[in-house]
Amino acid sequence: MKNQPLSLVTLVALAAGVAVASFVSSGTLLSLLTQAVIYALFASGVGLLLRQNGMVSFGHALFFGSSGYGLGILLQLKLMPAEAAILVTLAGLALAAFVIGLVIVRVPGVAFGMLTLAIGQMAFLTASRSRGLTGGADGMNIDWPSTLFGVAQSQLFKPGNMFLLCWVTLVVVLLALTLLLRSRFGSITEAVRDNEERARFIGIRTLVPRATVYALSGVVTGLAGLLSALNTGFVSPENLHWSLSGVALMMVVVGGPKALWGPALGAIVYFLFKDILGDLANHWMAIFGVALISVIVFSPTGLAGLLGRLFQGRPQRSVPAADAARPVVATGTAH
Amino acid sequence: MSHYVLQAEDVAIHYGGVKAVDGVSLTLTQGQIHGLIGPNGAGKSTVIDAITGRRRLTRGKVSLGGQDMSELGPTERRLRGLSRSFQRTSIFGQMKVRQQVELATHKMGVVDSEADADAVLQELELMHLADVTAEDLGYGEQRRLDLALALVGQPSVLLLDEPMAGLSVKESHDLARHLKALTSRRKVSVLLVEHDMDVVFGISDVVTVFELGRVIASGEPAVVRADPRVREAYLGSAA
Repeated sequence: MKNQPLSLVTLVALAAGVAVASFVSSGTLLSLLTQAVIYALFASGVGLLLRQNGMVSFGHALFFGSSGYGLGILLQLKLMPAEAAILVTLAGLALAAFVIGLVIVRVPGVAFGMLTLAIGQMAFLTASRSRGLTGGADGMNIDWPSTLFGVAQSQLFKPGNMFLLCWVTLVVVLLALTLLLRSRFGSITEAVRDNEERARFIGIRTLVPRATVYALSGVVTGLAGLLSALNTGFVSPENLHWSLSGVALMMVVVGGPKALWGPALGAIVYFLFKDILGDLANHWMAIFGVALISVIVFSPTGLAGLLGRLFQGRPQRSVPAADAARPVVATGTAH
Repeated sequence: MSHYVLQAEDVAIHYGGVKAVDGVSLTLTQGQIHGLIGPNGAGKSTVIDAITGRRRLTRGKVSLGGQDMSELGPTERRLRGLSRSFQRTSIFGQMKVRQQVELATHKMGVVDSEADADAVLQELELMHLADVTAEDLGYGEQRRLDLALALVGQPSVLLLDEPMAGLSVKESHDLARHLKALTSRRKVSVLLVEHDMDVVFGISDVVTVFELGRVIASGEPAVVRADPRVREAYLGSAA
């Protein structure tokens, strides 16, 4: 029963994607929408980490750029077919993210953010300076084969088809994450995020769930990187730069991380702003900055939270005045 | 084999030159409530932290059912039946009441985790709040939820760190009543740190008094209450 609305929403979302791909004839608009959807996936990865682990990453471009480079290098070396290279890239990324996660998710708060920044910038510098392998600062072209999963390149690279591929990937990823987070795994990660100490004292070993969420968010972001490499046929050190991680984080804040679809919404809004304001002003980021501050101040749960309140409203349980005056939930520190 | 459910022997926690707890030995038999009292800073909570593995022992040994647990972490100790609550309410604020209790029963390896969660919620009169998000509960209800999380999975020992802190007199008495009933029904042994003397002396089988990280008296409540050292160090003339 609980999955019925979800199935309906998924079908509507897929149908909307098909409609856009079929009825929008402007290649420029489709290209913009494709880019927005790729970044929506990127932001969903960053948002997942914030939602389930309560952790802010300033270096998620690591996964966005690494997937493109990983795939590009595998194709360049002609070690395997492109389809296998895609799977190997994602599997390698998941493993690397899990191992990195096992080390860095132990570190709380700002220090964690700084570690993600450091690791991301290490990858940026490595890619920038390994001219022989990555093309250095000039980047590298991705040598896509003439067919991919049986689809001819000429078909795949049509703007409508590319948009549809990215859109369907986004919808499927969000659906899969929703189902995963409704499972026991979702409850475990929520518990660890809310109160790690108490989680330990109800028998949860907290490190692996946190590292798994980190790896999962890395894979989602890596998938966005692969789509970007497919869309542009190119990857450069800019794909690894911290400023890209910052942009993704802005999308998450604007959209709101509490709902899984919030960061994706933030990415769409970001690109709309960029397109509309970019025509009006050179410094459109300054205007977007004002919008960002407004969202943080007036709706800390982001646009998704705002929409949630408008359309659903959260049922509030009245708390007796005497109770309301007392301290609320703490995080289990006893001295 | 030891007949004690819990045995702490010569436990010491030192921070450099500061001896927060020094040479403390405690025992618990099945179904017993053992009250720990003492002024602030006496080392009561530190002892609970030491027994549950939250702080590493400088010296000493902690055994549960005769098995040495001194080298185990908190999660492993919990899985072996040593449970605790915290001085400050320690629950999962953004999760529903039933969701978190059920998660706890599942992680404790209870086969029918739903049924065990329901039983605990019934016992602590939280069933009607099962679908409420924990942060929306009243403070007294949050304290009961905290106790529920500590009780799932049939622990053999429960260490409660000031469970009555911040509660009204009525709420304190209600919680004490629940505690006494649960102890006999579930055959769980309780180590209770509490400042409410009426509660401690009312429900404990044994009371131990701490001062400056050391035990200054231990025994039946009436004997401890009459001990001149205890009156001088903690209870004062009002006792």
